[in-house]
Amino acid sequence: MSSINTPAVVMDNGTGFTKLGFAGNDSPSWVFPTAIATRNTSTGSSSKPMAPSKPSFLSSGTGNSNSLIAGSNANSKASSIHGNRDMADLDFYIGDYALEAAKGPSYSLSYPIRHGQIENWDQMERFWETSIFKYLKCEPEDHYFLLTEPPLNPPENRENTAEIMFESFNCAGLYIAVQAVLALAASWTSSKVIDRSLTGTVIDSGDGVTHVIPVAEGYVIGSAIKNIPIAGRDITSFIQTMLRERGEADSSLRTAEQIKQQFCYVCPDIVKEFRKYDNDPEMFAKYIVDTVSHKKIEVDVGYERFLAPEIFFNPEICSSDFLTPLPIIVDQVIQASPIDVRKNLYKNIVLSGGSTMFKDFGRRLQRDLKTMVNERVEASERLSGAKSSGVQVQVISHKRQRNAVWFGGSLMAQTSEFKSYCHTKRDYDEYGPNIVRNFSLFSVP
Amino acid sequence: MPVPEEDTNARIVGNLAVLPIKTQFKGPSLPCMDPYDIIDEVLDLFRANTFFKNFEIKGASDRTLIYGILFVSQALNALSPNTNQNEAVRILTNLSLEDFAIPGDIGFPLNALYLPPSTKNDAVFLRQYLAQFRQELASRLIQRLYLTDSTKPSKFWLAFGKKKFMNKSL
Repeated sequence: MSSINTPAVVMDNGTGFTKLGFAGNDSPSWVFPTAIATRNTSTGSSSKPMAPSKPSFLSSGTGNSNSLIAGSNANSKASSIHGNRDMADLDFYIGDYALEAAKGPSYSLSYPIRHGQIENWDQMERFWETSIFKYLKCEPEDHYFLLTEPPLNPPENRENTAEIMFESFNCAGLYIAVQAVLALAASWTSSKVIDRSLTGTVIDSGDGVTHVIPVAEGYVIGSAIKNIPIAGRDITSFIQTMLRERGEADSSLRTAEQIKQQFCYVCPDIVKEFRKYDNDPEMFAKYIVDTVSHKKIEVDVGYERFLAPEIFFNPEICSSDFLTPLPIIVDQVIQASPIDVRKNLYKNIVLSGGSTMFKDFGRRLQRDLKTMVNERVEASERLSGAKSSGVQVQVISHKRQRNAVWFGGSLMAQTSEFKSYCHTKRDYDEYGPNIVRNFSLFSVP
Repeated sequence: MPVPEEDTNARIVGNLAVLPIKTQFKGPSLPCMDPYDIIDEVLDLFRANTFFKNFEIKGASDRTLIYGILFVSQALNALSPNTNQNEAVRILTNLSLEDFAIPGDIGFPLNALYLPPSTKNDAVFLRQYLAQFRQELASRLIQRLYLTDSTKPSKFWLAFGKKKFMNKSL
């Protein structure tokens, strides 16, 4: 029973990126794309002519039985199909290596998670297998695992996950936590948080979509969740368009992404910000691109510094079909939640994900939201004649925002009570997969 | 969406406000007492507003602003990245004085939003005012474009010529 002292493994598999590490750490040990590159099947006619030429001398001695090279199945018939398929199963890459491998002709890239939910279980199992044995390099039977899931994940998905974790990997124990709840827990490190409650509104913005999720005492209010089709990817492509329109020397996606991460910030008022740039040429920045040939290309960085993150607050500047600003969406989400938790949802608005990392993002959101809420309070005071006690609006930014979900998981899984909340391998064997339909919530320490 | 302040005292022709401007160019505009006039406003709002496809017109001055913004777009498109300041003055002076359409004319692209002047005299007046307005706008635009370097216009400004405010252009 070595599992008593080993730290729990925290895995946060997101649509775009997977965050991997051990509980108790401040940041994940590995962050890589949730991508898997698998060997193309030989049924594709394009790969057929290539396959026999390479391994012909290797397989000549062994006839057409199982060759060591997984791709050599083109010249073999029914007898070896089984063996070859097994070998092909081992021939895959995950993460950054997958992206690299997929550049060649013989691998195809896929993303097993779509919209936060696991779509391809077979690929996900192989993805986890590599995560555990090649990245974490741990024995799953010695470790408890904390996995994350999106809000409104169907219980069947939990069962499938448990089946893989317990039956394929034989892990010691399992806890599946809702990402938004972990993001709330991560905000406890901020000095602004005093009461450590699991009630709040989570704004989770990654690469693909932005979610606004209200959570009351650890439970997600599913009916009030809203998604915004604006996130990191849109900001990057907005910057890229601006670079192109200006005719900069380099306007690759990578450059745009670097500019986004290094130079962008949120301003209080765009018209005033333009004037600031007129009066102070120092506001214009330069980004230097190192090319492969060791040439340095200078790219000027201008108004995109504040215009790019502005698309959250004025979506009209980049999209024509989605026009509602983020603060209004947050307000709608809270208004759609039960009335008795609304005050607490306004008081604890928590940011999570890389696209919320822009400087002053939280401040602008808080200001815009406060204006809206105060107007409503004033209007109701005017109509009813009664004095309102006011609504406190507070947006919480903290240092662990980028990997907030993973960090929240790390915090939870390092507590001494964590293991008592997990379902163990023994429970699983005793009761079957349906035990993971329910997990008790962490009590607040 | 940034919106200008409404000036109710201005003369209105058609439904466009003839706002006073600070200018040395000849024309019918009243002298402007305010240190910050509609031209400054157009130039300040131009960059932010070009990103917006929708613009709610609240008053006659908004139409003056829209006209100004669209003229700035047209002016930027008339310049190229290596036009120097003297050339730019020449190009934009020609552009602002060339035969342009006023509201009500067949070639005017915004006739859906602008009413034609009611009398012939008004039309003549409006044409003179707009000519003056365009010249002053062009001249102050050039000041901003060549603020740091008189050999070529600021590329940051020039890039905004590609955007189409309200999906319209003059």
